[in-house]
Amino acid sequence: MQDISLHILDILENAISAEAKKIELSINVNEKENILSIRIKDDGKGIDEELLQEVENPFYTTKKERIKKVGLGIPLFKQHALMTDGDFSLKSEKDAGTVINVVFQYDHIDRMPMGDLESTLLNTIFSHPEVDFEIILQRQNSHETKEKFSTSAIRRILGDVPLTYPDVMDFIKENIKRSLKKIKVEEL
Amino acid sequence: MKTLEELRKIREKAQNEMKMRNSESRVKVVVGMGTSGIALGARDVMKAILDEVSNRKLTDVLVTQTGEKGLSSMEPVVDVIEKGKPKITYGNVTPENARKIVVEHIVNGKVVSDLVVATKND
Ligand SMILES: Nc1ncnc2c1ncn2[C@@H]1O[C@H](COP(=O)(O)OP(=O)(O)OP(=O)(O)O)[C@@H](O)[C@H]1O
Ligand SMILES: [Mg+2]
Repeated sequence: MQDISLHILDILENAISAEAKKIELSINVNEKENILSIRIKDDGKGIDEELLQEVENPFYTTKKERIKKVGLGIPLFKQHALMTDGDFSLKSEKDAGTVINVVFQYDHIDRMPMGDLESTLLNTIFSHPEVDFEIILQRQNSHETKEKFSTSAIRRILGDVPLTYPDVMDFIKENIKRSLKKIKVEEL
Repeated sequence: MKTLEELRKIREKAQNEMKMRNSESRVKVVVGMGTSGIALGARDVMKAILDEVSNRKLTDVLVTQTGEKGLSSMEPVVDVIEKGKPKITYGNVTPENARKIVVEHIVNGKVVSDLVVATKND
């Protein structure tokens, strides 16, 4: 995995596989505190205690179609965060949901770049129009920028018009682009 | 967010259009988005497909991605599923190939045989 936005995509897709109806993603960059943090919370089916002991370790998966049971998504993300003297925590409750908190040291030489967050967000939203995405992008340096995006707010206005209607897709794309520009995602 | 007024206008336009045709999708396209797929470039494949589908306004095509994929040796993988036809799986797909699949298979109805890695009747 070459950048943080690919890890985010991977974790979002885990949440979808766990049948989440609502997914919250917050990204917070605080240069003064030298932190880039990511929080992904879902209301999916959760992970039971036994499994929870193992998911942060490589090679654990419940995917059945594989002969070798290899789960790499979570351990790789953790490893990349810890390489920067960051932090990783995963909390989950069976039938309630999962929350993952990942902290990178912002200026650490081993911190991967953010990468193409726009594609991560748009691909995921358009692939799963039935899921509510709440996205918060926050950047704090000399001043604070906070951008919020919610597909449920959009859906309320749209009524029975799908999120994947072409003009709606353009609308969402423009909004996400603008928010990413405001937090100057290209610098990350 | 961009003006909600704009969104209301889109809704009106869409509702009028939807009255005139049924909105059931004709084709479903599924991109494998598990860890190995992502590491091998599945995100850009998905992006290319969404791009073609939205530029060509293919409103009868459903595009989705899934982390539930097991063909790690052939990733990125794209499934094209049409009612009454066998499921076609394309492997080692590049963004460029993905655009080709949209144009040739989904628009023109011709399977891109050299990229197919599996065919399955359901
Ligand atoms: N948000 C979540 N909700 C419920 N279960 C989860 C969630 N995330 C992960 N899991 C469980 O933890 C396991 C390990 O996840 P991980 O992402 O590391 O690997 P994987 O998804 O199984 O395979 P890979 O990511 O390598 O394609 C999953 O198989 C799933 O059972
Ligand atoms: Mg995974």
